[in-house]
Amino acid sequence: MKFVQRIALSAVLACLPIAALAQGKSAPKDALLYFVWPQNGTTIKGGFWCRFGLRNMGVTHAGDNYPNSGHHHLLIDVNEPPNPTEPIPQDKSHLHFGAGQTEARIELPPGKHTLQLLLGDAGHYPFNPPVVSEKITVSIR
Amino acid sequence: MAEIRNIKPGRTAEPPREPRPRRLAAIVAGDISGYSRLMQIDEEGTHNRVKRIERDVIEPGIIEHHGKLVKTTGDGFIAIFDSPVEAVRCSIVIQQNLVGRNTSLPKHHWIEYRIGVNLGDVIIETDDVYGDGVNIATRLEGIAYPGQVYISGGIYEQIKHKLVCGYEALGDRKVKNITDPVRVYRVLPDPSALQENRKRREGILIVFLSLALLIIGAGTLWYMLVQARKPVNQASAPVSSPAEVPKAPTAAPAQQQATPRPGPSPAPKQAAPLPQSASPAAPQPNTQPAPSVREPEMIPLRGGSFAMGSNDDVSEKPVHQVTIKPFAIGKSPVSVQEWNACAAAKACAFMAAGKDDAPVTNVSWSDARQYVAWLAETTRKPYRLPTEAEWEYAARGGTQTKYWWGDQFQPGMASCKNCSDIPSTDQPPSIGTLKPNPFGLFDMGGGVDQWMEDCWHKNYLGAPVDGSAWVENECPSHVIRSGSWKNDSRSARSSYRDGYDTNVRYPTHGFRVASSPRER
Repeated sequence: MKFVQRIALSAVLACLPIAALAQGKSAPKDALLYFVWPQNGTTIKGGFWCRFGLRNMGVTHAGDNYPNSGHHHLLIDVNEPPNPTEPIPQDKSHLHFGAGQTEARIELPPGKHTLQLLLGDAGHYPFNPPVVSEKITVSIR
Repeated sequence: MAEIRNIKPGRTAEPPREPRPRRLAAIVAGDISGYSRLMQIDEEGTHNRVKRIERDVIEPGIIEHHGKLVKTTGDGFIAIFDSPVEAVRCSIVIQQNLVGRNTSLPKHHWIEYRIGVNLGDVIIETDDVYGDGVNIATRLEGIAYPGQVYISGGIYEQIKHKLVCGYEALGDRKVKNITDPVRVYRVLPDPSALQENRKRREGILIVFLSLALLIIGAGTLWYMLVQARKPVNQASAPVSSPAEVPKAPTAAPAQQQATPRPGPSPAPKQAAPLPQSASPAAPQPNTQPAPSVREPEMIPLRGGSFAMGSNDDVSEKPVHQVTIKPFAIGKSPVSVQEWNACAAAKACAFMAAGKDDAPVTNVSWSDARQYVAWLAETTRKPYRLPTEAEWEYAARGGTQTKYWWGDQFQPGMASCKNCSDIPSTDQPPSIGTLKPNPFGLFDMGGGVDQWMEDCWHKNYLGAPVDGSAWVENECPSHVIRSGSWKNDSRSARSSYRDGYDTNVRYPTHGFRVASSPRER
């Protein structure tokens, strides 16, 4: 009986680092994700280059498991808070920059839109707690 | 066509010189099955619904397909078309629209039309048409099952190479008050018709199986009674096993009989008289099994012209006509098992985890390309990734609606987020869990995102119209199609498209293979 327990315990222990790897990696406390451009409240005509800023962490290719690094995601008009147990969704309102891009050409329909940056780890999971930028609002004319 | 339309005003305006102009026309006759029953349940409601259907579906459908509505009766209508292709197309569109309208209602409230199409020489008057041709169309409609379109041999001959859908020959039928038998074909465009077919077959199978089981059971009982000496061991085995048996055989043959029908049948059947397209596409999928490699199951498609794109999203505009050459496409996305054969051969980058029959995921475009390159090399067959145009053509399965089953989303047809009661999981559902589209293809919309050969372009301005891949050298992102089990129903639309970084893996991205017919 004890033997079985020990095996179970060691199995659980062995799995722990894998689980930790998969999701919810912690990031440096002073990590700062922000928009270089546009600023909150900017009015923009047509398409624009959105530039992403990251301090105290590194930007890397998705899939590369370096410590203290991740890749950018741009959330457009997303209201739900990031879910640390799921990979960041991939759709028209969650743009991925897994090739390590730090800027992107964005085209949005006229009107008000919110933009927010979210850093993902090698497996596209948000960090825990998530590294997110301030949510900004831009107006497209 | 203009002529047909002009007849009415022309005749009413001026006194008819030749009172009964004859002309050749495709006649579409439709009527509601069980109309009197529906009227009995809810007279006013049914009447209103029928009128609404006529106004919203039938009339615009006929006009859109350049036909003319000759008359409506209480429960039916008669329309004429110059073109048999347009006539059948219009009938299919009407049937598909009605499927969408009915889904939200309980079965006994369904308004289902039976439609017959015939080609004939008719006499046209201002508000009616007369002639043998009309009578035959009405008779065809009379023998059609609800929700189906029956066409005569004359129509079939005109459209068989032009309209991509299945035709089931029902043989020569004797119809009421018509001397010569009429050759009848059933059009198989929409999934609901197929389902019904399947259900019927399943029903028959179940009856037979239960009969067989009863006989076996009776036999066993008799055996037990006769050999009362040593009953326990011998009896328990045969008695307990039948309980297990019935499920497997009913499900398997029913599916084998019914599911391949929609897809493979349209292509080979139609293509058969057309040697140029049939012979190269058909032979490669199954005839030459490579000794070692499990090849993805392929469905040959005849190709044809279709309207690609939609106005639902900026990336899907402009809608443009594309002509697809014959090609074959994987029946399902590449599975974990198929992928791991490549990984085991050290030709693919990683061993995939998960169930063998689940689609492989977390592959980048470059990973997918490695797999098709390896598959093409080991099998010496021209495997490749599909082009975006080929994919959409295959996904539409001959339809022009938002989804392959209609314009309205229906739960249980595609695997997407919040699309069914099945809770969302980390893995996509196994291959073949949901219904195939009219071409017999699984997960064309929902399931896993699928990589295309094409580079990502933000819209279709400048896109090729010959079905080829739209590529430049070294593009940073490629097209993904289908949406995934983690995306909402909007992304399960046939025209939905998105792009993703070429070399980045993501947990919902998979792919399916395609192949071109061999050069001769």
